[in-house]
Parts: sequence; structure tokens; C-alpha cells
Amino acid sequence: MERRDRRFGWMLSAPGLLLLGAVVLFPIVWAGLTSFFDYTLLMPGYDSFVGIGNYRMAAGQGEFLHSAWITLLFVVAVVAIQFVIGMVVALALNDARRGKSVYYLILLCPLLINPVVVGLMWRMILHPTLGIVNWLLGTVGIAPVNWLGAPDMAFWTVVLVDIWHQVSFMVVLLLAGLSALPTEPYEAARCDGATAFQRFWHITLPLMRPVIIVTLLIRMIFAIKTYDIIYIMTRGGPGVATDLISYFIYRRAFVSLDLGQACAMAVMLLVVIAGMTAMLWRAMRQVGE
Amino acid sequence: MASIELRSVSRIFGAGAQAIRAVDRIDLRVEDGEFMIFLGPSGCGKSTTLRMIAGLEPVSEGELLIDGVRVNDIDPAERDLAIVFQNYALYPHMSVRKNMAFGLKLRGMAEAEIGSRIARVAETLGVEALLDRRPAQLSGGQRQRVALGRALVREPRAFLLDEPLSNLDAKLRSVMRTELIKLHRTLGTTMIHVTHDQVEAMTMGTRICIMRGGEIVQVGRPQDVYREPVDTFVAGFLATPPMNLLPARLDVADGALRLRIEGQEIALPLASRPGWARHAGRDVILGLRPEDLHEAPVGAATAALDCTIETVEALGPETILTLRLGRDGTELAARLPPEGDWRIGAALRLHADTSKLHLFDPETTRSIPGN
Ligand SMILES: Nc1ncnc2c1ncn2[C@@H]1O[C@H](COP(=O)(O)OP(=O)(O)OP(=O)(O)O)[C@@H](O)[C@H]1O
Ligand SMILES: [Mg+2]
Repeated sequence: MERRDRRFGWMLSAPGLLLLGAVVLFPIVWAGLTSFFDYTLLMPGYDSFVGIGNYRMAAGQGEFLHSAWITLLFVVAVVAIQFVIGMVVALALNDARRGKSVYYLILLCPLLINPVVVGLMWRMILHPTLGIVNWLLGTVGIAPVNWLGAPDMAFWTVVLVDIWHQVSFMVVLLLAGLSALPTEPYEAARCDGATAFQRFWHITLPLMRPVIIVTLLIRMIFAIKTYDIIYIMTRGGPGVATDLISYFIYRRAFVSLDLGQACAMAVMLLVVIAGMTAMLWRAMRQVGE
Repeated sequence: MASIELRSVSRIFGAGAQAIRAVDRIDLRVEDGEFMIFLGPSGCGKSTTLRMIAGLEPVSEGELLIDGVRVNDIDPAERDLAIVFQNYALYPHMSVRKNMAFGLKLRGMAEAEIGSRIARVAETLGVEALLDRRPAQLSGGQRQRVALGRALVREPRAFLLDEPLSNLDAKLRSVMRTELIKLHRTLGTTMIHVTHDQVEAMTMGTRICIMRGGEIVQVGRPQDVYREPVDTFVAGFLATPPMNLLPARLDVADGALRLRIEGQEIALPLASRPGWARHAGRDVILGLRPEDLHEAPVGAATAALDCTIETVEALGPETILTLRLGRDGTELAARLPPEGDWRIGAALRLHADTSKLHLFDPETTRSIPGN
């Protein structure tokens, strides 16, 4: 009986599994294999095995390390700021008595927009001469800002756009966590003499810890592989100011045509993300307990 | 130390047509150092009243005063009251020790003092071995003792205890009862104690406040409430088994009050209860405590009632009989000494102590004063 159930289960999932195998598993295996060869798109072929040569070269390459560093900065900035904003908004919404669903709807709007559209939209809004933001600044006498043209500014502009796009994800997850918290400890704390901040610090934060960890990890995993916004808004520029790792790998493969090295870098990225996913999985199991 | 005063206090849940008056215009003054018991059936508003005093529930109408100061809008943190919640409300992420220490730490007490207080209270409550556990690792009764401990380590102006012993076994409960009484005697702090337990109600408090449907029915010293219930509700609620309530008809003849109860008659001198004469010729409810029924006549003031035994509960020090008046009349209970050979279905003549009778008006359910 149980065996037949299991066979039936496999049968049902077979088409999906085959498809996933073709579009996910196969490219991963293929990239892993390619990363050990000197494989360029000019001379495709598996005749020059280089072992871990591609990895060593990537690790010693200033541009690659720069991209990794920029990505780390980006992830920390985006996730930290989103977390703070998300927490504040979630706390406020959790106290809201009416209109919660309206706020929800408004908040979810950015999340529903395709990243490419987000990038195009913001590129227009922030256009140095034609954009509405600089025009608005002009009306109050502030000189136009070169949002995407100046290296330091471009990085923070991309960070801001990503925050605008993704912050509601934080809000929604944290709000779900907050509304699931028991109310009794708060009453006890009020009678014990705790102020609103002390209640947040001693009750909310510890009780929310598992939810916070999961939320942060999910956002970090997604932030590490940010690609679309960069492609649309800056192409990694100006210079290499916003050259996030995914975009860097893309260029290495399809501009420099050095597929072997790009694959090695992709595998390294994959290992980092897989490690974080494992942590996420462990954290999620703790939430369930 | 604090006196607590409620002036026409109400708590209304919801609004419009669905509004529920969980507490309805309550007037009560709990004196400084008093041990007040809230007693009443489930849903009568005991917890709601307590939570209003604590500041966790807004006062919809009326005034709440602590030490003569209006506190309707004062934050619970500033009221400095310690509460034991009916559902414990422990901090789930803190050990037992930290649960108890939390309120003290917030007040900036020194670690050493916190430690010694916790040790003392933990010993009293028998939870020393549990200090490093989390609430989830405790049994219901252990959690309840921790909740009690969290209140006791504080030195608040008043303790608000919402059924703090309800989940303990009989032995532990009686130990804790004694501890609380002792504690009240040594600290002299005002206490309000909500309970369902008759023994707690009768033995612990200086006064009992009996509630029903969001209203206070009677407030008084335990013996007084027991001896002189103001209506059939209090008579039927206090003590187990409660006062027997029998439908009767009252007449006055030849200087005597005559109560006719389903064909039987109890007579007593009019002079002993002149006030009852005003209800002559009317239906009344006769109240008779189970312990005021005896197997043999007691002195001159007794009247016989013929009954049939329905059940026999031998409790050890005493036996509770459930009987029917006559052969199959109204049910009543009698509390008799343990020795005795009672058979179910047998007839039994009981003797009521007529000096202990109560009368109630069936229309208003209020007690009819004897003088
Ligand atoms: N948040 C609320 N919303 C609506 N009604 C409520 C709320 N809290 C309590 N009530 C109602 O108020 C009434 C009094 O409740 P309360 O908890 O004070 O009863 P209680 O006397 O403590 O009962 P118990 O002995 O069962 O604990 C009940 O009828 C209850 O249904
Ligand atoms: Mg209650």
C-alpha cells in the first residue's frame, strides 16, 4: 500500500522534476564542470583541463574581489536599512486598529512590480535633467543631483531603489510575526513596570528572534544575487561603482566571453548562497518548534 | 500599602447593540491592608474588575481611586500593583529566575537583593529546583506557583491575585493558602484574591465580595455573608452543599408563624421573627443550611421534616445526604455526623433548627428580615 502510494507520488511529480532537472540541475552541473576547463566562447571545448586554476585566478583578481566587496556592502546596507524601516512600519501597523488591509495593499504595490519595470521607472524618475525628483528639488532651490552618474551616489541610489522595491517584504513578514505574538507577556510586563521601549527590548525582540533571523536570511539571499536593477539602471557603473557580483559574472561570461572563469565564480556564489540557505533552513525549523 | 476604591465603575465591551456590560456600576472600597475575596460564578466579571484595577482594561464608566487618587488614566507601570494572571502570563523566553527578577531589575534593584528575594520566595513556593527552567518546561501547577512568585518578590502597593491556586493539588493548595495568609499578616499589604474555591473564600479573606452578572450582590465578612445571605443567589452559591431552598407558604395563627412545605409544617413563635409577619399569607422560599438539619431534636426550637434518602456521600468526618422532602418532593441536603446507617430509598425524619431558618421573597429573591 505504502509503496504504491510512493510510486504514485513519484509519478505525479515526475514531469515537474524532469523540467527542473533540465533547467536547474543540468545548468548547475554543466557550470560546475565547465569551471574546471579553460573554456571561452571564442574557443568552446573541453580540451584544456585546468583543475582549480579558474578558482585561483578568480580569487586573486582585484576586479572580482572588488565586486564581492561591493556586493557585501550592498547586502549589508540594503538588509539593515530595510530591517529597521520594516520593523518600525510593522510595529506601527501592528498597533493600527482600522484600515490595516488598505495599508497592506499600498505596501504590497512595489513588491508586485517586476524588477525591470522598477529599474526603468526609477531611471526616468531620477534622470538628471528630465527626472521629476531633480525638478522637485529645483523648486525648493536645491541643485540637481547626478543620481546615477557619480560613483558614490550611484551606489546609494541603487540601494535606495532596492529598499523601495523590497522593504514591504520585510514589513509583511515582520508584521505576521508580530501579530502572532502572545499578548499576555506584555500585560505582565506593564504591571512589572516596563516602559514601551523596555517591552520592545525585553519581550518583542527576544520573542521575534526566530522570525527576524528567517526574514534577514531570506532578504540576504535575494540581495546577494541582485542583478536586474543593476542591469537596467547602471550596468555596473559608473566605472565599477555598482558592479555587483551577479552582474560581474554575467559580464565575464558574455562580454569577456571567458566562460570557464565565470562558471568558477558562479560556483563560488552558489556555495555562499547554499550555505546561507542551510542556515535559513535550520532557523526555519526552530521557528516551527 | 493602598486603599482601592471603585465608584460606579463599569466595563463595556463592544459598542451599540452588541455592547456587553461585563462589569456594571460597581461600588466597592477595599481598605488599606485588607484581604478582599472576589467570589462569583464563571463570567461574572471578576477578572475584568481585577484587570481594571491593574490598569490593563480601560474603565468605561465611573472612577477608580488608589489611595484616594483617581487613576483611570494612569499607566499600569505607575500603579505599582503586582498581579497574578488567571492564565499565568509568564515570559516564555525567560527562565523562572528571570521571570521573577524582571520587575525588580526594571526598578534598578541590586543583584544581591534580587537573588535573596527570589531564593526566599522560591523556597516558600517550593520551586527552587525549577529556577533555571523555561515556562514551557513546567507543569500547570508549577507555572502557577512561578506566576505567584513573580508577584510575591515585588513589594507592591497591593496584590491582585486571579485564582492563583486553582491549578494546585488539594494538599499544595492548602499549604499555599496558609502561606498567603501568613504573608498577608506579616506584610500587611492590601490583597484582592479572586477564587472559585469555597474554602479559600471562607478562610482567607477579611471580607468577601460576591458578584453576579457584572454586579456586586453582597460584601461582608465571611461569617456574616454565610450567616445572613442577602438573597437566594448568595444563599445558593456560598458553601457546598449550599443552603437548601424550599418553596413554602407562610401563615400566622395563634401567635405562631406556620410554614407549610409540601404538606409538612414547621411552626415557630411569632415573637422570634416578628418581621416575617408582614409576609403572612404569601408564598416564600425557606432557606435551611444542611448543617442545621439533625437526626434528633435539638432543644425546644426544632421542627420535624419527613424525607426520603436519595444518595449518601460518606466524606469521612461527615456524611452528606441528598434527600427528597416527603416521598418525592423538593431535593434537599443534610450534613450529618459520619456514624449512621443510611440506606438509599429509606424514610428519614430530620429535625430542623428553627432558630436558623431564613426566608426569601420569591419575587425579588431578597432575604426577608426577621425583625
Ligand atoms: N475582551 C472581551 N471582549 C468581550 N467580552 C469580554 C471580554 N473579556 C471578557 N468579556 C466578557 O466579560 C464577562 C466577564 O468576564 P471575566 O473574565 O471578568 O469573568 P470571570 O468572572 O473572571 O470568569 P471566570 O471565573 O471564568 O474567570 C464575560 O461574560 C466575558 O464573556
Ligand atoms: Mg476570571
